Amino acid sequence: MRRIALLVVVLALVAAGSWWFFAHRTQSNGTESLTVYYTKMDGTSTGSWNVSMRPQQPGESSAEHLKNMVLYAAVQSAAGPPSDVEAIRFPPGTHINGVSVNGSTATVDLSHEVTQQVGGTFGENGEFKGLVYTLTGVPGIDAVQVTVDGQKLETLPGGHVELDQPLHRSDF
Amino acid sequence: MNSINRFIARIFRGVFPALAIAFALGSATLPAGAASATYLYQNQPIVFSHLASSDGVTMVGIQDPGLRGLLKTLGAIITWRPGRRYVLITTAEPEVISFAVGDRNYDVGPVTSQASVAPFARADDVYLPLDALLRALYLAPKADGSRMVLQPQLGSIDVRAAGTRAKLVAHAGAPLAARVVAESATRIVYEFDGVGSTLERHRTIDAGGIRSLDVTASGSVAAPKTLVTISLMSGATHGRIHNSGGNDFEVAFTGASSAAYPHAVARTPASAAPMPAPSITPGASTATGAQPSPPPAVAGPAQVGAVSVTQTSNGSTVTVAISGNATYQWHRLRAPDNRFWIDIQNAQLTVPPSVQAEVNPLLSMRVRQNDPATVRIALSLVGQNVLAVSPSATGLSITVDNQQVADAAHEGSGSIGAVVSVSEAAPAVTPVPPEDYGQGSPSWKFGPQSTYVPTNPKLIVIDAGHGGSDPGSERNGTKEATLTLDMAKRLRDILIARGWQVKMTRTADVDVYQPNDSARDELQARDNIANDAGARLLVSIHVNAFINSGPHGTTTYYSKPEDAPLAQYVQRDVATDAGTKDDGTVKSHLYVTLHADMPAVLIETAFLSNPDDYALLVSPAWRQKVAQAIADGIDQYTQQYPVPSTGGQ
Repeated sequence: MRRIALLVVVLALVAAGSWWFFAHRTQSNGTESLTVYYTKMDGTSTGSWNVSMRPQQPGESSAEHLKNMVLYAAVQSAAGPPSDVEAIRFPPGTHINGVSVNGSTATVDLSHEVTQQVGGTFGENGEFKGLVYTLTGVPGIDAVQVTVDGQKLETLPGGHVELDQPLHRSDF
Repeated sequence: MNSINRFIARIFRGVFPALAIAFALGSATLPAGAASATYLYQNQPIVFSHLASSDGVTMVGIQDPGLRGLLKTLGAIITWRPGRRYVLITTAEPEVISFAVGDRNYDVGPVTSQASVAPFARADDVYLPLDALLRALYLAPKADGSRMVLQPQLGSIDVRAAGTRAKLVAHAGAPLAARVVAESATRIVYEFDGVGSTLERHRTIDAGGIRSLDVTASGSVAAPKTLVTISLMSGATHGRIHNSGGNDFEVAFTGASSAAYPHAVARTPASAAPMPAPSITPGASTATGAQPSPPPAVAGPAQVGAVSVTQTSNGSTVTVAISGNATYQWHRLRAPDNRFWIDIQNAQLTVPPSVQAEVNPLLSMRVRQNDPATVRIALSLVGQNVLAVSPSATGLSITVDNQQVADAAHEGSGSIGAVVSVSEAAPAVTPVPPEDYGQGSPSWKFGPQSTYVPTNPKLIVIDAGHGGSDPGSERNGTKEATLTLDMAKRLRDILIARGWQVKMTRTADVDVYQPNDSARDELQARDNIANDAGARLLVSIHVNAFINSGPHGTTTYYSKPEDAPLAQYVQRDVATDAGTKDDGTVKSHLYVTLHADMPAVLIETAFLSNPDDYALLVSPAWRQKVAQAIADGIDQYTQQYPVPSTGGQ
C-alpha cells in the first residue's frame, strides 16, 4: 500500500513538473525576441530590428511581464533605429513616461516633446505607425492608446493623426 | 541536454525563488556608505552621492543627482518609476540600455552583457553596478594623478562590407571629432580627438577595399586621442567623413576590383575592458546570434525594380525586374469581377509605388509594397482573359491575352531567382480580395463602393488646410496655409467650370472654428461643413514638411476603405501631371478624413522642406497644374463610382 501511495506521489510530481516545464518553456520561447519597427523615409514602408527580451522571471506575474515587454518595446520604438539608419523619428527628446496595459490595449504615455512636430502628415504618420506596429507585435497587444504627459489628446497641436482613440495596425 | 539544464535551472529558480529574494533583500540592506565619489567628465565635476556596495562592487542609485546630471550631459533619457523592476536608458545614439533588478544580465541595444553583480532595489531607488553602467555609456574611469576622470571611449568600430563597398562606423561616449591626419594610396589614418580606446588593436578585414584596421590610443588621460589606421587594398578609394555631430562617425570605402568579396562584418572587440558592442543593423537578430548585415544586403529580401507593360499583338505583357530569391502567389477573381493580383514575398519595392491606367486587355495596374515583406502588383482586366505567370532567374512576366476563357486557373504560386518553380490551381473557394480592392464590384475599382448617399451629389467640399492662427508649415516666410488656400481656390474655379458645385471650408486666412482653438475643434468644424451639406466628396489640400530636406513628392492620405479609390485617382493624376515624385497613397488615422461622412482624402501636394518641391510650390503655374490634376482625379473617380441609388452624378 505504501508503495502504491509513493508511486502515486512520484507520478503526481512528475506530471506537475512536466506541466510546469512545458508551460514555462512555451512562455519563454515566445518572449525572447521582440521586433521593433520604424517607418522608412518613403513614408509608408516599415523596417525593423530585433531586440532580446528577458523571459518571464520567477516572481514576475504574467501581467507584469506583459507590461515590462510593452515598456521595453515602447522605449525601443521611441529611441528608433541607430542614427545611421534613415528613418522617420519622433522629435528629439521624445521619450516614454510610462505604459499601462488594459486588456489588449497598451497605453503609452509620451513626453511633451512629441508635440514639437514640424508639420505635415509625413512625420506624424510615420512615427505612430512605427510605434503601433512595434507594440502590436507584443503578444497579447492589438491596440495602442497614446497619451502625452498623462493627457489624452485628440490630435497633436495643428495635427493630423487622431489620437483620442486606440490605434491599430489596420489604421495604417 | 540543454533542455535538461534549462529544466534544472528552472526547477532551481522555481523551488528557491525565496532564496533569490532573500539575497536581493540582503543586498538591499547593505549600508549605503557615506562616501561620495567625484569624477571629472569633460572637465566638469560629476559627484555621485547615492552610492552603495554589493559584494564589493560600487553601486549607484539612479536617483543620484550626479548620475542624472551625467545622463543629461550625455543626452541620455532614463525611463523608470519607483517600484519598477526595469531601468531603461535611451542614449543619444540612440541606443537602449536595459537593467533589471535581480538580473546580472544587462542589454546595450540588442547585445546582452553581464555585470559582476545584479542591480537591487531599496526604498524608492534602484542601484546599478557603476562599472557596468559606465561601460554601457562608453565611459571608462581612469586615474589622473589624484583625480578620477570619466574618459569617453571609442565604443565600437564596425566594418560592414558588401561586394566592393565597405562602411566604417564608429561610436563613442562623447561627440566624435574625427579628422584625417595621414593619407596615402595604401593607408589612411583617422584621429578621434577626446576619446580613448581599449578596442582590439588589429583587425584583418580584406573586404570592401579595406585590408585591415589598427587602433592606437594616445594622448593623456584628460585629453585622450585614438588613431585608427586603415590599410587600403590597391586602388581602393574612400568617401568623406560623415559625422552628424553626434557620437557616431561613418566613412565609405570602395574597392577597385569588381570581383565580389564575400559579405563580411568585422568588429573590433575590446580587449582589456570589454565594451558591449552594439549590433546596429536593423533586421539583425541577436536572439539567433546573427551578425549585422549592410544596408545593401547581398542576401535578404529580393529587390523588385521596374515594372513595365508592353503591348503585343495578342495582348499585354507585364515584366517585373526582380533581383534575389523570392516566392510569389497570385490570385484572380471570378467573373464578373475581373481582378488579378500577385504577391511577391520576401521582397522590397525599390521603385515608387504606382497606379496607372492601361490599355486593353488591361484596364489598370497598381504596384506597391503591401506589407514590409510583400510587394503586390494588381491588375484589372477587361474580362477573364487567358493569363500566364512566368518566373525566371531575373524576375517574372505576366502575359495577359486578348482571348478570354471560362474556367481559367484562379490561383498559382512559384519562386523566382536561384530556384524557379511554378504551379497553378483552380481553387474551390474564391479568394477573398485584398482589402483595398473591394468586394463584389462588377468592374475594376481601386476600392469599395461607398454606401454613403450624399444629399447634394453635385457638391464637393474643398478644405484648404490650416489657416488663421495655425499657419501650418513655413519656409522663407511662405506659409502652408497660404499655399493650400491658393490651390483650393484654383481647384474651386476648375470644378465650377466643369459643372460642380463647390463649398470651401475657408476662403481667407482664417480659422474655420475660432482662433487658437484645438486641432480637434478646427478639424471637426471642417468636417461639419461637408457633413452638414451632404456633400459628395471632401478634398483637403495640404503641404507636407519634415525635419530635414530629404523627403519630397506627393502623397494622398486616406482613412476609410471607401476613401481609397478617390485617393488613388487623385494621386495618380497629380503625380503624373504635376511632375512630383509619386509617393503613393497612404492609409492613416487622420482626423479630417475619418470624421467625414463621405469619401474624403487629404492630399499632401509637395514638401515645403525640400528645395526642389519648394520651388514648385511657390510657382503659380505648378499650383494650377495640381488643381487641374485633382479635378481630373475627382472627375474620373465620380465616373467610376456613381452615387449609390441614384445611378450617377
